[in-house]
Formats: sequence, structure tokens, C-alpha cells
Amino acid sequence: MDCILTIDISTSSVKVCAYDFSGKLVAFRKASLSIFYPNPDYSEQDPEHVYVTVLFVLRDFINEQILPSNYKIETIVFSASMHSVLPVNNKGVPIGNAMIWSDNRAKKEADLIKESEYANQIYQNTGTPIHAMSPLAKIKWIKNNQPERFKKASKFISLKEYIIYQFTNQYVIDYSMASATGFFNIKEKKWEEMSLYISGIDSSYFSDAVSVFNSDLKFKPNIAKALNLPKNTKVLVGSTDGCLATLGSGVFKEGQATISITYSGAVRVAGDKFINDNDQRFFNYILDDDIYISGGPTNNAGVVLEWFSSHFRNHKIIHDFEDVVEGLFKEATLVKSGSDGLLFLPYLLGERAPIWNSNARGSYFGINIKHESKHFLRATIEGVIFEIYSIGKILEDYRKIDQLHLTGKYASLPICASIISDVFGKKVKLSDEVENVNKGAALLGMIDAGVFKNIEEAALSINEKSVFEPNMANNEVYKKLFNIFERLTLKMREEFELIEQLQH
Amino acid sequence: MNQFSYLKGKSQEISPWPQIVEFSKVKVQTLKANSFLMHENTEFKFIYVTDGKYYWTIDNQTYTVFPNDVVMIWPNQIFGSLNGSFEIGAFTVLTLDITNCKDNELNLGDWSNICVTEQKLMGNVICQKMKSLIPNFKKFGEILQKMEYEIMANEIGYNAKVNNLIDDIWIQTTRQLSNTENKGRIFPQTFHKLDQLLRENIAHPWTVEEMATIIGLGTTTFTEKFKTFSGFAPLNYLINLRISEAIKLLKNTDQSLTDIALGTGFYSSQHFSTTFKKLTGFTPGLIRKNK
Repeated sequence: MDCILTIDISTSSVKVCAYDFSGKLVAFRKASLSIFYPNPDYSEQDPEHVYVTVLFVLRDFINEQILPSNYKIETIVFSASMHSVLPVNNKGVPIGNAMIWSDNRAKKEADLIKESEYANQIYQNTGTPIHAMSPLAKIKWIKNNQPERFKKASKFISLKEYIIYQFTNQYVIDYSMASATGFFNIKEKKWEEMSLYISGIDSSYFSDAVSVFNSDLKFKPNIAKALNLPKNTKVLVGSTDGCLATLGSGVFKEGQATISITYSGAVRVAGDKFINDNDQRFFNYILDDDIYISGGPTNNAGVVLEWFSSHFRNHKIIHDFEDVVEGLFKEATLVKSGSDGLLFLPYLLGERAPIWNSNARGSYFGINIKHESKHFLRATIEGVIFEIYSIGKILEDYRKIDQLHLTGKYASLPICASIISDVFGKKVKLSDEVENVNKGAALLGMIDAGVFKNIEEAALSINEKSVFEPNMANNEVYKKLFNIFERLTLKMREEFELIEQLQH
Repeated sequence: MNQFSYLKGKSQEISPWPQIVEFSKVKVQTLKANSFLMHENTEFKFIYVTDGKYYWTIDNQTYTVFPNDVVMIWPNQIFGSLNGSFEIGAFTVLTLDITNCKDNELNLGDWSNICVTEQKLMGNVICQKMKSLIPNFKKFGEILQKMEYEIMANEIGYNAKVNNLIDDIWIQTTRQLSNTENKGRIFPQTFHKLDQLLRENIAHPWTVEEMATIIGLGTTTFTEKFKTFSGFAPLNYLINLRISEAIKLLKNTDQSLTDIALGTGFYSSQHFSTTFKKLTGFTPGLIRKNK
């Protein structure tokens, strides 16, 4: 039987999946990736180790799972996280480690661009908020702080492009990834002059930008042989985790939004126009011609639950975060919705959408003598969801949202889904897909093979597993608490700055 | 409580065990000035506190020590109380002669029943961490009590029994150290620590047993958890790290293939080249040529 093999290079792991042409997941394998934090604001990954991990997990996957079950790989589709920057020299050799999305060192560069006269045009043309995560700010940082490294660089690529380059010897970037760089004009689908100008580079520093369906790539013969890949395997350049998670959860039209809670989180909508927010709070990524994925990312999602769990809960048995966090959610049901008036601001890692303030910090508010450890637990979970809601609420200024689709290991837990439903006061749907990003990639492969006519038809093929209706009494409680949440966040702007200065 | 003080060369009671330098039970009832000044420690010393609260300083760091805590003082460390005397309370001192604890190796001597490879693993945990304070280590106190009984009672087999108890002290200390280090930690966190250690010592001939001891898990559980989390068996993961490191050296330096091979933990350049070709599809030479 023929299958589509999808490769998702996310931040903490590489996940490879095989789907048959009816869209059914037939095999899965995962390998972890290491992140390095040489300084508090730095997050890096070693490009060679990421490459070797992808290569080895693919080899094991094909030899141990695909070939023995008599599947033939027809197409390979790539996906990866956004915003990584890796300088390479003219021989394609990486100059140091890649800076990944969570790398915050370019704060100052981002602020300067944001305050400059170019900011508005750059946001309007590229659709990417100007922030330390954006390759626009990161490349500027390298230029200002590592002039030698900048001089040696002949290209700035993402980790995904590096892996594809290693496999195929070609530099290509898909429109989705390009539209996450702050350098790509999403209206004209070409590199944005203003961004290039302020960075002092030209478009030769970037790979050729192509449609997510582009299939001109060919694996190097030696690698195809080492992997046991059929000679004529088709390679689709694919898209990014953000776009594909949205597609893979079945969201493509007005009225729908997807909420993703993994290590970080996001609220996203799909539409045929991008959102031009006056306050530059939302991103806009190209999935395909006339399909934009827009929304806002939060830094403080699963990572906050993991933080709470590892510091305030004692684990007798050493096990995985997923189990631990699932346990947390169960314990949280011991407390009423609204945590009896205990409120948590989750800004442990500063915040992106909607406040875009790297100096924001977390806080528990309203503690009284009756609050117990379990109240803090529930308040922590609710605080994370309030933050997600604060993004969704502003998105509603631009798009109608009637129903929410959840993706990511934490959002998909039933208890989390029901809190989300109550906080938003909206219907929440859980799909039966476990790997939404890989599923989204598989849908691209299926569209390419003609199984579906277009993205819309592909998105419709996603089935729901369960639906959560909101409890409107709880929604009332949450509305009142959220009001205080918003006011506190606004009020504490100056105090965030002051306390941040004491944390170096 | 009976106080006692056995010293090597002076006390007949401990003469059957040359590895014991001192075994004493001390009760402090009055503060005596200058009774415990800062001084250089000579042998490896365990102190188990049974009563009171002490402020002891080891190499410029002051620790608050409570009953059931164990303090370890290494040869050449500067040890004492900053105010120069013992606070009121009680503790037991056990000073042991360990031939060697350099290079993270523990070498107990012929009397020990712990095999040499296990001593090495234990050394990795105990010496590498150079921990001074192990809090709440009641088991240690229980072993000391049994030792005291055996040494006093001289019942049949007491000689071997005491040797076993000293072995047990090392075993329990190792276990306690890796447990406190990893207690409450979720596997990804301990994995991260090990990952760092592997990267820093990529040429070291790692074994799974060694990795498991560092994490504080049994080999079987360790291998299973490692595989679930990382996607690779421990030794395969190590090979991934070695190959990635080798690729970087091939691309960025002019080191010879043999140097790269040995520097990244392969037996020989031949072993390196075959493994490299098999796993990546290219010979190391080709990667270098394209650099």
C-alpha cells in the first residue's frame, strides 16, 4: 500500500508519521531534540544534531515500521517550527547554533525597529509582529553583536531549510515559513525591500520562496539509499507547524478558530484576507493562495503547567510531563470554577500576544487564608486559559468565532477542553487526530495527489471526537475574574519593568 | 548515650579494620572556646548528627546541620566552625581511609566486597558531585548503630559484619545522593542533565550502567524511559551525538580523521568511517571535501 510520510521538526522533538491515502495514521515515531540556554535570554539548537536526529529517526522509522508492514512511501511532506535563524557560509556550513523561536536576545533590536518610521510598513507588508522572536530582529542582532559571524554568513536560513538542504542540496523556503520571518511581503509573495534595507542585506541571503505544494526537490542518491527510500519518492516542501496544526484541526472558514496548547500556545483563525491590526498584535502566515492563518501566540502555556508541576508537586515516580500534567488537571477538579477568587497572571516568560511585553512577569492575586495548594493549582490552569482567551477576545474584533477546535497535548485533555469552553462561553470541538501538525502535512500530500480538490475540502475531512458545550453559570464567574485579569495586566505595566530589572 | 572515641593506632577496638581512621560518638554539653577552629581536613570524614543544630563551614560555605543529616568532608577541605566551637548537641564521626578518590574514582581497598566496576560507578556519583551535606539520612544513623554494636559485642563473624556495614555506608550514600539529586524530577529534566554530561565527555567509553547510575535508576527502567523519551536506545543516542560532533569537526577543523574518531569516542578511524558511512550515507572524507 502507498503512504505519505510526514516529518514535523518541532522545538522539542522530531515526529514522523505515515498516513495512508484515506488519511488514516498508520505509523508514528518520535525522537527528542535538545535546546541549549547558554544565557537567560538565549535558546539555541545544534543544527547538525537536529539533522542527525531527523536522519536517524527516519531510518529507524522506515526500516523498522514502514517496510516490514509493506507500505511504499509515495510522498514526503515537511513541517517545522517557525522563526529559527541559522547563518551558513558559502559552502552551506552552519556558523554556530541556530537561534530558535523562544530566543529573546534581540529584544532591543525589536524595540528599535518597532519605534522606527519603518515599523508600520514592515508590519503591514510582512504580517509579522515586530518582536525578538522574528528573524528580522534576530538577524539585526547578529549584525550588531557578532559582526564577524554576520560577515561570514552568505545565507540566513531556518532549521527546516537546513535539513532540506542536507537532504537535497537545495535551498528552498515555503511561503508559510517565509511569511514568519518579517522579511517576506505576504501581498506580493516576494522578499520585502524595507526589511532588507534596514538589515543591510539583499534577497540573495534567503532561499527561493515557493508554494507549500512545491515538489521540485529530490533526495541526494546516497541519502535515499541510506534511508531505503524508493528512487521516485516525491518530496513536498510543506509548511509550518502553526499553519498545519490549524489545517489539521479542520479549521479553514469564518466562524472557526483553533486553540493550541503545547509548550507555548496560540489562537488562530483562517481566512482569505490577512488581519491588519493597528496595534500590530497578530501574525499572518500564508498557507496557500488566498488562505492566511492569522492569530496570536502566547509564551506561557504548557510550560507554565510544567513549571508548576515540577516545583510545587512531589512526584514519587519519575515520569513524563504529559502524565504529570494530566494528573494536575484531575486534581484541579477538586476546586470550583474560578478557584474561589484566586487569580493568576501567567507571564513567567514575558508575553507575546496580545500585550507583546517581554518584561511582563507572573503573579497570584487575591490570596486569602482559606486558599489551599489545590486553589493555586486550579488558578494556574485558569490563568493560562485566561491568557489564551485574551488573544481570542481581540481576534473577535476581526473575525466571528462560534466554535473552537483544540490541538496540542494539553488543550486536548478533556478537563482542559471544558475549562476553555466555559471561559470562552463557546462550543469546543476535539478532533480524533492526535498529531494535528502531521495530519495537516498529510492533507497537503493528499491534495497534491488529487484525493481532495483543495484545502477547504481537505479540512472538512477532519472528524470530531467530542464536543464540549459551555456551562454558562461558570462562564459568568470567569467573565468577572477575567475583567480583573485584564485590569491587573494593564495596571502592572510599570511594576513589570521594575521587577524585571531585579531579575538579572 | 555512651560516648566513645576509637582512633586508628591507639584504640584496640578498631584494629581489625585498618580502613577505619576514627569512629567516635561525641556529646557536647558545654561550649568550649577554640574547640573547633577552621582546619584542613586530612582523611575522608562522615559526620552524622543525632542531636542539636550546628553551623559548620566547609571551604567557605556554611551549612546548617540538623539531626539525621550527614556531612561529608573531603581530604584537603577547610572545615570547622566560624565561631571556633561546637554548639551543644551530639554527633558520630566516621573517618575512613580511601586510597584514592581522584578522577572521580572510588578505590575502597581489598577489604571491600563491592566489585571494582561498581566502585567506579559509585565514585562517579559521590566524587563528581562533591556534595557536603546529605539532609535527612536516617538510614546512615542505623548503619552506624549496628557498627557500634558489632564493634562492642565482638560476636562471631563481627569482623566481616563490620566490613559489610562499611560497604553498605558507601552503597546507601550513593543511592541517597542520586535519589536526592533526582527526587521529584521528571524524566525530561534528568535526561537533560545526562545529555549535557554526555556531550561534555563524548569520548568517554560510556556504558548504560554508568548512565543509569548517574540518573539514579536501575538499568532496565532507565533504558525503557530513555528510549520512550529520546526515541533511541541509550547507546544509539550516544552514537547520534558522536556523529553530529564528528560532522562539526569535519566541516570546521583540519583535524585528522583519526583524531576526530578518537576524540568523539570511536575505537579507530576505521570503526569511525564504517559507522559514519553506514549511518549518514557518506564517508567522512566526502563531508570534509565539501566543507
